[in-house]
Amino acid sequence: MVSAVADTPFIIDWVRYSKSRLIFRIFDVVYIPESVLNEIRSESTLLWIAEGLESGGLAILPEIPDLSREALNIIARSRRLPIRPVDYPEAFCLATGKRFGFTVLTENGGAVAFRDVDPEYRDVVVWRAIDVLFALWRAGHIHSFREDLDRYQQETKHIYSRRDIAKYGEYLK
Amino acid sequence: MSEDIVREWIERFREGREIRRRYANWEYIKRQPPRLRTALEYYIETGDFRTAAKIAGMAVDEFLYIAKYEANIPTTD
Repeated sequence: MVSAVADTPFIIDWVRYSKSRLIFRIFDVVYIPESVLNEIRSESTLLWIAEGLESGGLAILPEIPDLSREALNIIARSRRLPIRPVDYPEAFCLATGKRFGFTVLTENGGAVAFRDVDPEYRDVVVWRAIDVLFALWRAGHIHSFREDLDRYQQETKHIYSRRDIAKYGEYLK
Repeated sequence: MSEDIVREWIERFREGREIRRRYANWEYIKRQPPRLRTALEYYIETGDFRTAAKIAGMAVDEFLYIAKYEANIPTTD
C-alpha cells in the first residue's frame, strides 16, 4: 500500500460517503496538512478525522519549510497559466506528493489542471474521489463501481461532469 | 505547455459552471442577505469556494455545507 495526502474539498466530500472508511483499505496512511486541517470546522468532519487519527489511518502533516516554499512557487507558477490558480493547501499537497511519492487526493480542478500542464509535476499521482472509487472496485472492496459512484454523488452532492465519467465509460456500462 | 490540455481544462471548468448554474436553487439564493448571496453567486460562476467563503465571512466547510445542502449547488471540479 502507499500513502496519500488529502486536501480540503476532498475530505469535506469524502467524509459524507457512507463507505468512507474503505479509503484505509488502499492507503496505509492519509496525511492531512495543517493548512487543510485549519480550514475544517464542522463537527462531523472533525469527528471523522479524530477517529482516523486514533486508528492510525490518518496523520497530520506539519508545515515543512521546504515544502511551504515549493507550494508558494506552485502558486506563483499557476497564476501565470490561463487556468484556475492553485491555492496554498492544494499547492502544499502537490509539493508533498512530488517529494515523498504520495498520491494527492483532491477535488480541486486547479490542482489537477496544474499537474496536467506543468512538466515538473506531470509524474505526480493525483486522484479524485472517482479514482478512489475505481481503485476500491478493482480491489474488490465494493461490488459495483456504477452503484457506488451514484451513491457517492448522491450522498456528497458532488457531481462529476460528462468528461470525468467518460474516463471510466467502459467500466460504467 | 500543451495548448490542447489548457483548452481541455478551460472547457472542463465551463462545464462545471453549467452544472452549478443548472442545479442551484435560485429562489433560495435570492432570499439570502447580500453578503451570502454574493458569495453563492460568485461560487457558481467561478467554482472558487475559498474566496466565496471569505466573501460570506464563513469557514470553508461551513460555506460549502450551505452551498450544497441549502442552495443545492453541487461541487464539480
